[in-house]
Amino acid sequence: MRIIVCAKHVVDSTEIRFDEASGRLVLANLPTKISDYDRNALEAAVKIKESREDVTVDVVMVGGSEVQKTLKEALAMGADTGYLVEGGWESPFDPVRSAGVLARAIEEIGVPDLILVGVVSEDGYNGLTGAALAEFLGMTYLAPAVRVDMPDGQIEAVVEAGDVRRTYRAAFPAVVAVDSSANVPRLPTVLQTMKVKADRIRSRTLDDLGLASDGSAREASITLVSTSSSAVKRKGLTLVGGADEAAAALVEALEREGVLA
Amino acid sequence: MTARTVIVAADEPAALVRAAAQARDLGPEGVDVVAVVVAESGACLFPRGTDVTGMAERLSGVADTVAVYEGSADQCLQGIAASEALVAAAKEWAADLVLLVDGPLAREAAGRAAVRLRLPCVGMCEKVEYVGDRITIDRAVYGGAAAGRLEVAGGAAVCVLAGGGDPLDTGTGMGTAPGIVERPAPTPGVESECRLIAEEPLERSVDLAEARKIVSVGRGLARADDIGIIDGLASALGAELGCSRPLAEDFKWLPKERMVGLTGTSVAPLLYLAVGISGQVQHLAGIRGAKVVAAVNTDPKSPIVRNADYTVIGDLYAVVPALVAALSARPRG
Repeated sequence: MRIIVCAKHVVDSTEIRFDEASGRLVLANLPTKISDYDRNALEAAVKIKESREDVTVDVVMVGGSEVQKTLKEALAMGADTGYLVEGGWESPFDPVRSAGVLARAIEEIGVPDLILVGVVSEDGYNGLTGAALAEFLGMTYLAPAVRVDMPDGQIEAVVEAGDVRRTYRAAFPAVVAVDSSANVPRLPTVLQTMKVKADRIRSRTLDDLGLASDGSAREASITLVSTSSSAVKRKGLTLVGGADEAAAALVEALEREGVLA
Repeated sequence: MTARTVIVAADEPAALVRAAAQARDLGPEGVDVVAVVVAESGACLFPRGTDVTGMAERLSGVADTVAVYEGSADQCLQGIAASEALVAAAKEWAADLVLLVDGPLAREAAGRAAVRLRLPCVGMCEKVEYVGDRITIDRAVYGGAAAGRLEVAGGAAVCVLAGGGDPLDTGTGMGTAPGIVERPAPTPGVESECRLIAEEPLERSVDLAEARKIVSVGRGLARADDIGIIDGLASALGAELGCSRPLAEDFKWLPKERMVGLTGTSVAPLLYLAVGISGQVQHLAGIRGAKVVAAVNTDPKSPIVRNADYTVIGDLYAVVPALVAALSARPRG
């Protein structure tokens, strides 16, 4: 059985700061990683591989050569082959275009039995790429899945949405978005990641995917034109003294604010 | 200039009213608002929880037309059916903009419809506007690190509004009820071989979005057993208990419905007391609506300090019992 995980190389969101002085987001020279939510998808894939016979897990990422090391981390988590698809246009804000490129890459690699994605990406938070990918590929989409497995030549997914938990069985192939509560992803060590051989990564250009002549893969439909501080103005006061003193002062302050009622 | 037409849709009736009201405010020229509903024999499937007549009444003053597409209750087909209805409506009414409110079905419907309509799709939108012929979208970017403005080239898009926000129970109450037009079930473009094999309600012990006071705990807590201490403070305050993402998703010390943040629940209480929470942007993005934010933290350099109104710098294991004592000592009356 074959699983493909679509994962995203992102700037570590916990490191991103908005610089009030310049009015700009600082994104340059920050550490990069596998988007947290895609790590849950990778973990789910590797768990299926470990618990069943004859399962291969491929991972697809889009970007430039800087993505190699992130793909290696995904391989160190237990995936078999990594595919690096030429990018250069990626923005976190265009899920349909991302999905279009991923769909072509999957068709070129060979449509698998199961495609796993994260519920959102750590930079965009749109939560739309998985559904768009399913539409491009003409597949069922199940999200957000707190459990996914491949029993009896089918896909079984437990989806929790709204106030209901539903268990579905779908024929191969389908797209499933793995919820962040589904598992705790394993963390490969730096050494394990470094030991991944470069020949386990295969490259694909947009030309290989037949996308170069189609301008829509290269032009930006959605652009970020400005940013501003998202901080809500707060008092920022600190209460000093020992625990008893400071606690009493806090209660007094909240009383004055009228929020203790 | 002729009026624009905007298609609106949502998982829940109040959210659909909100989408229609936003659509109405989109541009200085008039906007025709067409609300898309999928229903089976008059009972709404998308949005869920009302009937067609009731939904139309609630849309008085904000929608011009309610387009009802026949659907089936087959759970496996809900997302596909919703997307097909959006596509059919966008084509029939020549709409440039399809506007939804975030929800599980809305996400699937929006992503699928955008592909079929060959339109860009953007989620987590706070505000959508036409500036001339361009669509501009205000939304949090990079997990809440900043507020951003996006521009969509081409002037047509599928946009999903971020959930939360003030639900509008009814439209303005003025103006006429929208006309209802019925349409047959569109032919699905995707063959879905899928069966529902089990369904059960999810026990939800709390809805933090409705809470007036919240005490929330983060990684400053040493072990799961200590949650009792925080719970004691919550009781003393008459508050609900919440937590940051690591406690719910990594450690699993608390259920997901108690998680506050960008991928958890957005809250807007009178008081939000963050205990042992450092104040990552994704967490702060979930508490923007709080009237007063207070915090207990050992680190004066923690981001929570400048994002709170009052912070006690200290060890929560000393401060929390002290707070409980101070609260009990308050004079009654």
